[in-house]
Amino acid sequence: MTMTAHRTVARRRQIEGVRKQALDTGRSRLLLTGVILAVAFAGVAGRLVDLTVLGNTYEPRMAKAATVPGAVSGRANILDRNGIILATSLPTVSLSADPAMVLDADEAAAKLALVFGGLGRDDALLKLRGPGRFVWLARNLTPGQHQEVIRLGIPGLSFHRDERRVYPHGALASHVLGLTDVDGRGIAGIENRFDQVLRTAGAPVRLSLDLRVQSVLREELMTAMKEYKAIGATGLVMSVETGEVTAMVSLPDFNPNKPGRMTDVAAFNRAATGVYEMGSTFKLFTVAMALDSGTVSLKGGYDASEPIRIGRFSIRDYHAKNRWLSVPEIILHSSNIGAAKMAIDVGTEMQQRYLGRFGLLKPAGLELPEVGAPLTPNVWRPVNTMTISFGHGISVSPVQLAAGIGSLVNGGIYRSPTLLKQQRAKGPGRRVISAATSEKVRRLMRLVVSKGTGRKANVRGYLVGGKTGTAEKSSRRGYSKSAKISSFIGTFPMNAPKYVVLALLDEPVGNKRTFNYATGGWVAAPTVGRIIQRMAPMVGIAPDLEATYETPMIRALEKKTRKANLVRPKQPKKRMQTRAQNRNQKRTWANSVSKAVGRYQVRQTDMEERIVLNARHALTRAVAAKNAQKPLVSTALTALE
Amino acid sequence: MREDSLNQPEFTFGQKLLNLHWFLVFLICMTAAIGVAMLYSAANGSFQPWASRHMVRFGVGLVVMITIALIDVRIWLRYAYVFYGLSLVLLILVEIMGYVGMGAQRWLDLGYFNLQPSELMKIALVLALARYFHGLSLEDVERPTRLIMPLLMVFTPAGLVLRQPDLGTALMLILASGGIFFVAGVRIWQFALVIVSGLIAAPVGWQFLHEYQKARIMTFLNPEADPLGAGYHIIQSKIALGSGGMTGKGYMQGTQGHLNFLPEMQTDFIFTMLAEEFGLVGGLGLLAMYGLLLVYGVAIATRSYSQFGRLVAMGVTVTFFLYVFINIAMVMGLIPVVGVPLPLISYGGTAMMTLLIGFGLLIGVWVHRDVVIGRRGGDEV
Repeated sequence: MTMTAHRTVARRRQIEGVRKQALDTGRSRLLLTGVILAVAFAGVAGRLVDLTVLGNTYEPRMAKAATVPGAVSGRANILDRNGIILATSLPTVSLSADPAMVLDADEAAAKLALVFGGLGRDDALLKLRGPGRFVWLARNLTPGQHQEVIRLGIPGLSFHRDERRVYPHGALASHVLGLTDVDGRGIAGIENRFDQVLRTAGAPVRLSLDLRVQSVLREELMTAMKEYKAIGATGLVMSVETGEVTAMVSLPDFNPNKPGRMTDVAAFNRAATGVYEMGSTFKLFTVAMALDSGTVSLKGGYDASEPIRIGRFSIRDYHAKNRWLSVPEIILHSSNIGAAKMAIDVGTEMQQRYLGRFGLLKPAGLELPEVGAPLTPNVWRPVNTMTISFGHGISVSPVQLAAGIGSLVNGGIYRSPTLLKQQRAKGPGRRVISAATSEKVRRLMRLVVSKGTGRKANVRGYLVGGKTGTAEKSSRRGYSKSAKISSFIGTFPMNAPKYVVLALLDEPVGNKRTFNYATGGWVAAPTVGRIIQRMAPMVGIAPDLEATYETPMIRALEKKTRKANLVRPKQPKKRMQTRAQNRNQKRTWANSVSKAVGRYQVRQTDMEERIVLNARHALTRAVAAKNAQKPLVSTALTALE
Repeated sequence: MREDSLNQPEFTFGQKLLNLHWFLVFLICMTAAIGVAMLYSAANGSFQPWASRHMVRFGVGLVVMITIALIDVRIWLRYAYVFYGLSLVLLILVEIMGYVGMGAQRWLDLGYFNLQPSELMKIALVLALARYFHGLSLEDVERPTRLIMPLLMVFTPAGLVLRQPDLGTALMLILASGGIFFVAGVRIWQFALVIVSGLIAAPVGWQFLHEYQKARIMTFLNPEADPLGAGYHIIQSKIALGSGGMTGKGYMQGTQGHLNFLPEMQTDFIFTMLAEEFGLVGGLGLLAMYGLLLVYGVAIATRSYSQFGRLVAMGVTVTFFLYVFINIAMVMGLIPVVGVPLPLISYGGTAMMTLLIGFGLLIGVWVHRDVVIGRRGGDEV
């Protein structure tokens, strides 16, 4: 019994022991579990502190993505001189995607490709499968596209308020305006040059351009380019009193509303960036510096009977007369020999100084980022002086040429060309030649149009003056006979010039109508004539049939020595002709030129002429009266497709 | 044998009522009150449609909880397997009906209310495992062969729930069971063995799943693949939490919730709303309350004389902990999105009922903390 009891006690102790051990294990395990739970809880609490107070939401990419591509908004308008909108900004929406949020990229891409013609399916798929959290799918949706995308109901897409730069007149002033990139930052032209102003000032930028003149210029240049199969054309109209560029065109051009289709050739601004050997138009500079420096007078002349030979070069005349030529004759017949000799008399140093004054040795101060620098000889030898005298061996931009010619005709004041509208002439300008010399150059220019190579530029009632230029295009192999730069620079009216008009054709090809000539006189001069004829009423210049402008006497000097030439001013006035004689001589000259050129001039009857002129008078008055010009045709909405 | 039972305190109803852990009941009521307040805010300052029903449900649940607490734990021990078997049958039933319906169906439509057997299983499994381990000595527990039965008891329902597919609930079942196994004294290496074999078995089990089930599980594992569902919630949730700051935007002032950036915020994402409106202080306050509940749970488990009571208390506590932890970790983006509600605060009847039944058992264990229960459910040692 005792034994049993003892055993029972022992057994119970043993059981107690086991039980105690089990309980201990259980307790420690319980506490351990409690500790584990507490640690996990502390972790959660820590994360809560992290999220709420430390603000560490681990979503920085989202926040960034929303701000990164921010498009420029509220870009100011660009206006022409009459307030017509040339560039404006329209509010649009753009479409982006968060690839991580797009559920079915294949389906989404297929649907989007149907809405956007330009966005290929593969392209869209590539974007939607990209690694980032933000991709632009399409910028500047049309309201129709916007609606369609909403209707597709694809998750992960979002719309953004955006702005689209619209050029209501399309390509009309493309090279002047330039364009903006997809984010509305100016990347070319005025848009680039005045990017900051357009973005921040709020006020529109008002250009010197007159959209109507621009339109005329572009149309006429297009016609000429097409007719003479030229590879390019450029032209500009510039006010000689203020230096304001009223119109500036470079062809081929581009539609800034569709920058994607722009080619490199079209993007090139021939008027400002392009530099060309201008040819004979440079003779005006040569004669101006010769007259101004007094090395020769209008009555002087040079022996052009034989070509000049310098080493392997020889300077010949295109319409060789093989005789002494008076200064007017040198311009009239565009004698290279005469111009070269004139320049030698002026001297290299003087020539450089004058060319510098005419703004031909430095890039034009035009408000465009794309202004081309002129190409001038590294070492200015006498041979350079001679070739430069007739526009070879120096390349300048059309803007430089126009500004230089402007300074010759406006009384001798150089006005820096500008694309911004000027209230009045900016400052006193810079005198480059005397008023008297300017007068003489004007008379010579009038002579070229009334009797010389530029007759096709003549417009009755406007006293057009000018100078033709035909330069052979230089290539690495030397000068090309067939590829030409043919130009005409004209100003009007010659008695008080207001505008310089330049037309330049790149590699024109003559046709039947021009008897296969592709010279400046044949292809560029008529273009300038038509431009003047059409633009004059628009800028308020009425035709004046009564106005005359004395052209200098053309005299074929007989065997004068160069020394005699220098004492020319002493010559008595007895040789002045009577008006009858003068008229007679003109007619004779006209006949001879007609023969030389081989063209039978078909003159309009006086009657026809009068009707046309009356109409032009009426138009001029109408334009002047209605000077609060309305926009031509606002094509803003059609430009939006 | 009798002398042990002589010490057994047999309470009258009144004594039991006095012995209820009233502070715990108070804590539970306070938490539910916070839930009502948040649901009132979620409805933009209205008791409809959530807050009022939440109150009613809690009222009913409270009565159920106290009733359960007053029932002798030995009764629970006796019927533990019955409950388990019943829950398992219901789970299988759901599986069949869901299969017929060609979709994932987690509940049985009983006309008046929907019964979600997986929720019932959370309680039933705790009871069944507690009973099983209660019947084992420590040496038995350490014998691997003795673990086959409880493992089957865990993985059968877990597998069924996984097929629904409801990985969240399946994981909760497995983890809560793991807690019970651990407290019961299962050796650590045996845990390791189970985990390793589970990992090996997973790909095999994967083969038996339907394509759509695989897809759903993949979505669970990789929520980036479902950015507009779960991913959207997480992004908005984090924004809301971040905007709450230290003290929050003020009651009913939370923009994310009220402007509907967070759809369905009355259910799983209600913690986000709370943190947005009351900030870090509010969030930590709620966490402290939950923490206190957990501490009491562990304390009650420690205090329980019987192994059954201890295991039930711990099972309930771990289940409760998993609710809180998974939900809050989920809304804060620590773990993938699983449909686990925030205890006593989220709108939803079944989970509340599960939790209140669980708390009822917990309090019951407290009330009957000194009851000695024999291996086979009797009074024997």
